Amino acid sequence: MEPQDVYYSKAEYVETASGNKVSRHTVLCGSQNIVLHGKVIVQSDAIIRGDLANVRTGRYCIISKNAIIRPPFKKFSRGVAFFPLTMGDHVFVGERAVINAAIVGSYIYIGKNAVIGRRCVLKDCCYIEDGAVVPPETVIPSFTRFAGNPAKCVEDLPECTLDLMLEFTKNYYQHFLPLSA
Amino acid sequence: MSYLNQPDYVCYVCNCGSLKPISKIYFCRHCSKIRCGYCVCQEVDSHYCPNCMENLPSSEVRLKKNKCSNCFKCPCCFQTLSTRAGHVPLRVAPADGEDSKDVKTTPKKVYYLSCSLCRWTSRDAGIPDQSMATGGWPEQENPHTSRINALIDYHKILASIEKQQSERKKFRPKHPYMQIAMFRITSAMVRKHIGHPTKPTTESTDQPSPAVASTEVEELPTDIFTEPVEITKITTLEQRLQQPDVQTENVNELRPQHRQLLVRRSQRCRVCEHNLCKPDFCSQSAKFKIQLAAFYHVPEVRIVTCEPLRPGKSSELLLKFCNPTQHQTQVVLLPLDTPMTPILTIVDEKEEVKQDNAQQESESPNLLPSIVRQVPVVEETKPIRIIANADVVFPQNCLILPRRDDAAEYDDTGDTHNFQDDPKFVIWRKGNKAVIKLHVTPHENIKENNNQPVVIGFVMQYRYVNTITTLEHKAPQKLDLKVKLYLTIGNIVGSA
Repeated sequence: MEPQDVYYSKAEYVETASGNKVSRHTVLCGSQNIVLHGKVIVQSDAIIRGDLANVRTGRYCIISKNAIIRPPFKKFSRGVAFFPLTMGDHVFVGERAVINAAIVGSYIYIGKNAVIGRRCVLKDCCYIEDGAVVPPETVIPSFTRFAGNPAKCVEDLPECTLDLMLEFTKNYYQHFLPLSA
Repeated sequence: MSYLNQPDYVCYVCNCGSLKPISKIYFCRHCSKIRCGYCVCQEVDSHYCPNCMENLPSSEVRLKKNKCSNCFKCPCCFQTLSTRAGHVPLRVAPADGEDSKDVKTTPKKVYYLSCSLCRWTSRDAGIPDQSMATGGWPEQENPHTSRINALIDYHKILASIEKQQSERKKFRPKHPYMQIAMFRITSAMVRKHIGHPTKPTTESTDQPSPAVASTEVEELPTDIFTEPVEITKITTLEQRLQQPDVQTENVNELRPQHRQLLVRRSQRCRVCEHNLCKPDFCSQSAKFKIQLAAFYHVPEVRIVTCEPLRPGKSSELLLKFCNPTQHQTQVVLLPLDTPMTPILTIVDEKEEVKQDNAQQESESPNLLPSIVRQVPVVEETKPIRIIANADVVFPQNCLILPRRDDAAEYDDTGDTHNFQDDPKFVIWRKGNKAVIKLHVTPHENIKENNNQPVVIGFVMQYRYVNTITTLEHKAPQKLDLKVKLYLTIGNIVGSA
């Protein structure tokens, strides 16, 4: 099925020179530590906690409404330390998802209400289903689909996942249009 | 993307008769045919640990029983265990005469395993902490190791004897007057027939003592009837099955288990034995050395929109076609009952066509010599269960799709192609994609309430340029290939 057009009001969104579309109703803490690499959509009420550590995303990342992106911490004998969160290209983060991962690779789909635990590593081309809860410090290998609570591998993904994700995020960006009013 | 999280609306029919979405089928360039997961040979390409991503050679994998030696999983919830560091104050006993205040407690770093999900730690199980961060964890001993090893050794001997015998048979010259050999066989057969044991050979002295069945069962302890059951201290069935060799009953006897390895698979065409898909050696990369998934070779069909469907009434259906190849293609839609035999057309030489056709029919080109080659298992084509319940008005003209151009995305000058499209047929066109309009009439006997989806079917004929050069023809071949498609376009809305 073809994706439908998603319209947004021009007043709500800020578009940068590199093509990032960021809603004004987002909470971007420590914005000097947040790097969006271009053509990234951050929708309303998303929270990116750049005040804890650096957050970097690649190109064509979609961060849906109410998603929370929060760098992970690690406990040491003296207090805690936060680690930067890096995200690859062509990553989709569903609504109300909470991401606490250390590394999110490229071509990844994270479903609605999914929770990615502390210091997880998501390898390229993986799929986290809606509502999955990935326990802390889990490594998700490439070409796997994880679901459930605690999340378990349920299926292998087809070999062309890379291009499917690439097309999906590009299409999403192209169909995310300003409301011509 | 929709192939990952939506039902399969558009299904391609594989040569074996199974219906698959385009993301799950392969296209063999050597046979020019569609192959699905059932028509390919799945081969194990490499083993890797899903946690530490270490690649292991298959010989080592067998030695380690398909388990990673470094990574552990929690015996309670089966998640990966992480190594935690803790401090143990090392008290040095004060020497005589010295003041105890002078002696400092030197903290020593110790490591233990802990599960971040269920909070199980190796300390719970009473496993002593380790002074090294990796390795050194006590291996769980199987109580029957010696027996298992004895049995394995015995079966290895049996296997070698059998191998020797079969080799002897193979290389024995076929001599009709080999009386001795015949006698040997008969004597053994006679012995067996009478019921005498065969001659004891030297190897069978190593035979382990046979298992003895016992009718006696230990009596239950008396307190099992009096003591209340504590469910929380007894392991679940799943937990026991995760350690099949021990199957502990009590929770505190659970031991961390080694993480099982995963495999990366490569696919091979069963007919011509060419590789269809071969992943990169590195388990971390998502790239492929050989990638013949149909998504990259066969035009993709997507449903854009469909007007509300009423039985017996014509409605418009918009389909999007996408050409993933580097060559221009032309797509023709044909009715379902079109014969499916491929038609070969070569640009320059016409004689070659017949030759090639004949060759393709008789036998596909094969990589391996005929001795090594396995006999291809030809399955009967499965009947297609799905029935098209709507009529499609097929367009007369063909749809030309230009080649895929990754740079076109950054080109703002617009399309330079000049196609003389019928605006009633081709609605929209950009790059290698085009949307066409079809008219669909659902059959009159479909009712609204019985939730029967409307299915249409057609044969898509597409031009495929095969760039592999063979000995017979160096020039790229142009083939007109056909594939059957079934599309689930929606439900009936309202009655006729």
